[in-house]
Amino acid sequence: MTSLSEAAGTPAGVRTAAAPAVVRPLYVTSVGVVTSAGQSLAALAYPDRAEAPAAGPAVDEAVPYPPRPVRAVHGFDVKEHFGRKGTKYLDRLTSFGLVACKHVLRDGPVDEAAGPRTGVVLATNTGSTSTHSTLLYDTLTMDKPYLVNPGRFPNTVMNSTSGQIAIRNGLRGLNATVAGGQTASLLAFRHARLALTLGRADRLLVGGAEELNAPAAWAWHRTGVLHEDAALGEGAAVFAVQRDPAPGALAELLACEVRFTPDPRAWAEGLADAVARALVRSGVRPEEVQAVSLGAAHHRGLDRIEERGVRLALGGRLPAALRVSDLLGETFSAGGALQLAALLARWQAAPPAGPVAGLVTSVGRDGNAAALVVRAPH
Amino acid sequence: MAEPAGGAAQRRRVVITGLGAVSPVGIGADVFASAVREGADGTAPIRSFDASGFPRRLAGEVLDFDPAGHLKRLDPQRWGRSGLLAAAAARLAVADAGIDEGLLELTRAGAILGTTSGESAVVQALAEQWLAAGLPGLDGELAGQVPASRIANAVSTELGLIGETQTIPTACSASNYALGYAYDLVRSGEADVMLAGGADAVNRLTHAGFYALGAMAEDVPRPFAAERSGIVTGEGGAVLVLETYGHAVARGARIYAEVLGYAANCDATHMVHPDAASIAECIRAAHRAAGVRAEQIDYICAHGTGTPTNDSTEVAAVREVFGDAMPPISSIKSMLGHTMGAASGFGAIACCKALEQNFLPPTANVTAPDPKLGPGVDCVPGTGRAARLDIVQNHGFAFGGNNVITVFGRVS
Repeated sequence: MTSLSEAAGTPAGVRTAAAPAVVRPLYVTSVGVVTSAGQSLAALAYPDRAEAPAAGPAVDEAVPYPPRPVRAVHGFDVKEHFGRKGTKYLDRLTSFGLVACKHVLRDGPVDEAAGPRTGVVLATNTGSTSTHSTLLYDTLTMDKPYLVNPGRFPNTVMNSTSGQIAIRNGLRGLNATVAGGQTASLLAFRHARLALTLGRADRLLVGGAEELNAPAAWAWHRTGVLHEDAALGEGAAVFAVQRDPAPGALAELLACEVRFTPDPRAWAEGLADAVARALVRSGVRPEEVQAVSLGAAHHRGLDRIEERGVRLALGGRLPAALRVSDLLGETFSAGGALQLAALLARWQAAPPAGPVAGLVTSVGRDGNAAALVVRAPH
Repeated sequence: MAEPAGGAAQRRRVVITGLGAVSPVGIGADVFASAVREGADGTAPIRSFDASGFPRRLAGEVLDFDPAGHLKRLDPQRWGRSGLLAAAAARLAVADAGIDEGLLELTRAGAILGTTSGESAVVQALAEQWLAAGLPGLDGELAGQVPASRIANAVSTELGLIGETQTIPTACSASNYALGYAYDLVRSGEADVMLAGGADAVNRLTHAGFYALGAMAEDVPRPFAAERSGIVTGEGGAVLVLETYGHAVARGARIYAEVLGYAANCDATHMVHPDAASIAECIRAAHRAAGVRAEQIDYICAHGTGTPTNDSTEVAAVREVFGDAMPPISSIKSMLGHTMGAASGFGAIACCKALEQNFLPPTANVTAPDPKLGPGVDCVPGTGRAARLDIVQNHGFAFGGNNVITVFGRVS
């Protein structure tokens, strides 16, 4: 990293990045989750209430999965939520996203006036791996490779889930999909923060979703990035986030800071930088952080880098750690959203006495790092 | 659009100072601009995959792309084609901006890249392995190259960037989305310098899918013409350097254009059919955000895919906002093919070069607009035309109903 003394070499008058300002809180008014542990926040209060489930059978058992545990969302049928109309071509990924949003908006639909001011920011890794792999297989095996199913082809684009969420709920505002690998969900929260701060929307549904299927499971398995006994998971978590204060809000989202570190030897320092900046911009002192929801618990190497980065930023301390991937398995781009859900679940299960801050962190394999500061309801 | 927090006084002017194009009509912004002005044809028989089983076999590929010739840090074996196209375009953009790499790190510059299909060439190669050796035969190294995030990561890794690194896969409006988000980061003070654009690679599934949808051209793309029959798939990397006006002036940079503003909305009606009313609302919102009136727009760089539906819907939306006094509207997809997530990035580069070199980019392969589009459609048929432009707008629409429109102005 360039030292500050080298700044003397820059042309006169060139400003370096502005000193970070303290951000205003954003308010989480509602949450929806679809997970292997259940479809409510209470189901994620691990290890306070929920039992770590035994690894279950795979989603599509006809195709062999790699030799590692799997935590699939069982008994899930999108038609139970939306009927037959318009659900024929929905893939599993989009179905998770739609049902999570249905839970978020359970108190009523978005009305006509609010529609243009309400949007979606959704994290993804590659979009729907089930749709993608099936159609790719078709184009390689069919006599007429150009006759792939035109009803399913639009599901191959990575913004398909956010588009379907917009259609089903009349959300005509900003509609963003964010890819950031492991850190994607936290990038989505940062993306949403900027959009809300600049008045591009009044309210956003923010979160992430991932689906399991044999090709994706094998691809992840073959990368070798996960610990041998780490379970593969799937699911979605979506949060309604708004700029205006709301009574009864589930949490306040404070700063979300990101950092890219090209040099693998400095990844922990990169995360520490993101955490430190996020705390400064949240007006939260390191010692006020009472819980950290970690993302890389099952990733070889990255697990230690993440913990080291957090310790570096918090003066050597690691606060009470939540590892939601122990409960749900590895959920990749949805991980950050499910980590936040786990933190909220913890606070719901055991409400803190005073104003308490929590941290959600994530590190990715190319050097992405992100940290979100959250305040418990008080 | 409401601007509640902060207030306009705290916002900073954002300008474009560097352009990088790795395109089917040439590599480098000047080569690209000359080719576009001439109405060059960037399409050719597909080489990147075996297209013999397909009734249509043309695509806009970057045939002379040699990653190693452009990249200093990335090992081309470890990154997918989309990321390599993006990183090469970023290298070119930074060189074009004349910005020192040390300064990029010092200012915490980052990279925001749009895409439609992510690392599609990597996924395609994995699918071939699946067929050949079963799922357990997938190459783990290759599987690690799949995440779409690796497109922006490739740019930041290549240039040693430490700032915000985000890939925005909002399909065919993705570059405009990336430009808009990067503009918001710079004008709000989150960053002083950002790289933004998009990348995609020609691939079998996209080619098959557009054919299956009935959206593939019989031969070359002919946007706005009566005989238009669809798209030709394309690829490339398009990257622009954005920085504050003050930062650009202080370092004596050449300024192509100011980003005056942008708007993004969602049709929320259908996954693939565009909606004229929603696009018109996006145009109006973009004008409000940019602080301009419709009559000030000198040129529209259209989404202009060349499908019957897109072009008639797009013209209807433009007519709804501009009345019969529509500015010239052309489609560079007539030359590049549809470069998907890179498309509106190439549109932005064409806009910048058009402002700099005083010309209207043409719609190639076309002699006259479709009479059914109504009166007053100037699609700049054939080759480019000399014209002094001051304010231009750049369209990007996508599956999922994602519309994004950026507005650029001359800085005098």
